[in-house]
Amino acid sequence: MTVRWAGGRALGLRVRLVLVFALLGVTTTAVVASVSYIQARTVILQQAQDAAAVSLTDQLAKVYPIRELPPTQEELETLAQQLSNRESYAVIVYRDMSTGNAAAPEPLTPQLRQAVGSGVVAWQRVSRDGEPVLVIGTQLRLDRTDGASVPSGLEVYSVRSLAPEQQSIDRLATFAWLTGGLSLVLAVLLALLAARGVLRPVRELGQAARRLGEGDLTTRLTVRGADELADVARTFNDTAGTLERQVGELRRMEADARRFVADVSHELRTPLAAMTAVTDVLDEEADRLPGDAGRAARLVSQETQNLTQLVNDLIEVSRFDSGTARLALDNVDVAAAVTATLRLRGWADRVRTELPPGVVARLDPRRLDVIVANLVGNALRHGAEPVSVRLRAEEDWMTIEVDDHGPGLDAQVLPHVFDRFYKADTARTRSEGSGLGLAIAWENARLHRHAGQPGSLVAGNGPTGGAVFTLRLPRVAADPAGSGGVR
Amino acid sequence: MTGRRATRLLLAAGVLLTLLTAGCGVRPSAVITGSAAQAGQSEGIHLYLVWRGQLALVIRPTNVVAAPAVSHGALADGPFLMLAEGPDESERGRGLTSEVPAGLVPTAPVVAKADGLTVTVNGAVTSLSAIAAAQIVCTVADNAALTGQGTRYAPVTLVGSDGVRPPRSCPIK
Repeated sequence: MTVRWAGGRALGLRVRLVLVFALLGVTTTAVVASVSYIQARTVILQQAQDAAAVSLTDQLAKVYPIRELPPTQEELETLAQQLSNRESYAVIVYRDMSTGNAAAPEPLTPQLRQAVGSGVVAWQRVSRDGEPVLVIGTQLRLDRTDGASVPSGLEVYSVRSLAPEQQSIDRLATFAWLTGGLSLVLAVLLALLAARGVLRPVRELGQAARRLGEGDLTTRLTVRGADELADVARTFNDTAGTLERQVGELRRMEADARRFVADVSHELRTPLAAMTAVTDVLDEEADRLPGDAGRAARLVSQETQNLTQLVNDLIEVSRFDSGTARLALDNVDVAAAVTATLRLRGWADRVRTELPPGVVARLDPRRLDVIVANLVGNALRHGAEPVSVRLRAEEDWMTIEVDDHGPGLDAQVLPHVFDRFYKADTARTRSEGSGLGLAIAWENARLHRHAGQPGSLVAGNGPTGGAVFTLRLPRVAADPAGSGGVR
Repeated sequence: MTGRRATRLLLAAGVLLTLLTAGCGVRPSAVITGSAAQAGQSEGIHLYLVWRGQLALVIRPTNVVAAPAVSHGALADGPFLMLAEGPDESERGRGLTSEVPAGLVPTAPVVAKADGLTVTVNGAVTSLSAIAAAQIVCTVADNAALTGQGTRYAPVTLVGSDGVRPPRSCPIK
């Protein structure tokens, strides 16, 4: 039960909450960090470019006035050195002549050359051996008195490394990643916290519901807070309370009904005893009574006997229900006891027996008699002969099997065979039995206990089709004191 | 959550991560253009000679300039005459040449009209090479502009002993 919660499901509430929180946190951080990163990068690069442009303009002012054109290679080199400083170095181009190492071409793209050739200051960021550099280029033009200017043919390119800017930007990126990671951790922690807050009441509710389902009607939840989950807990408590009250009411009513049956049965015993005495006399006289009167007398006698049987059975059943049924234990030779039961009922000739002698058991002989009589009587009435009774003994238990050769028990009937007043054949509302025989036999079997295990009575169908009732009783039944057979 | 949704989510996260990683650092850019190019003063006389087979602006320091041998007019004579004399020693040292025949000098002052300048010289003009003509056109136009007679880009018509060369503008802008 707890394992199920602790382990969580593939995508339980906790996982979903964590996922949503993490996604939210990461998305927000990613957007904010990206925007500020891009913004900061733009500003940093812009500043670097502007500074480089201003610095180049300042330096170029020193080049003028130009006194001689075209320049020699040496003059170009000198000029390049003049224009180079700690942060940048200059490349001077005059037509197809240029400073710098011919083996390592300067990072001047044709596009940049073209833009510079059109007479404007142009710059471009390029990657040189993986290092970002900024190249600013301009023509050197010559002012004229008429306000126009002519190109001197000289072009100056200032190459400046952007490594410091790259470092600053990388630091920004590192910081952004760090922020993202931290926010992810924070989001997961928050999600776990939220999940715990939500899941604890849910888990408690689940456990309480399970306890209630297992029959503990006194289960209640502690209502905390005033949120939806508290509402659920309150509703649960109300439901459990109502259920407890109603079940209590039902139990009380059932107990009342049982007591009523027991009382009625007891009250009926005395008049029935008197009636039985009268019908005994009537029975003797019945043969001498003419026609209808004789039949009526026999009918009254028969029904009185049935009624007496029913009332006795009812009293027996109420004893089981109230838990007052007790065993009167005695050492019994089982084979002899069964034989006696059959002989007493006049069934000895109709039943085949396999009763190994010498099986002695300590049990209630009266109840054994009731069980066997019920089973055999049932088999003779509803099944078909031959009916056989077999006794088998084990170390601690013994088994008595009663089977017939009738059609067997219907699959629909089977689960209800031991129900009270259950009639397998609904068309025959009046049966010879009280309808309580098998129920009483079942209760009697369960009353015998050994090592905490009750005896049993099981109904089934044999391989040849007949019904088979298997009675299993302990060889030594426990002392019944205190061990009631409450159903 | 179904498998397909999870897959899609993972894919989106991957794309986002790739974009974030790819956008990091200093990226190469396109060419960005700014204000007009740097301009400044020059000291010396502008004339056009040939450098490595191409027309080139040459600034001849003023202290080296010798007084012109002949004076034929007020306008553009100095530089034009220098052109006729060809490159001096220092210029030859730098690899400069001239295709204008020695002794080709203007016979009249430059005439400025609305549609351009006209210059009359004492030799053949139609047989001049394209570069030689350009040398004369650029030098004349340049100096005319300095004295307020039109612009540097004004077309120049050359008139010589053998006829007229159609107007051309200086190819160096």
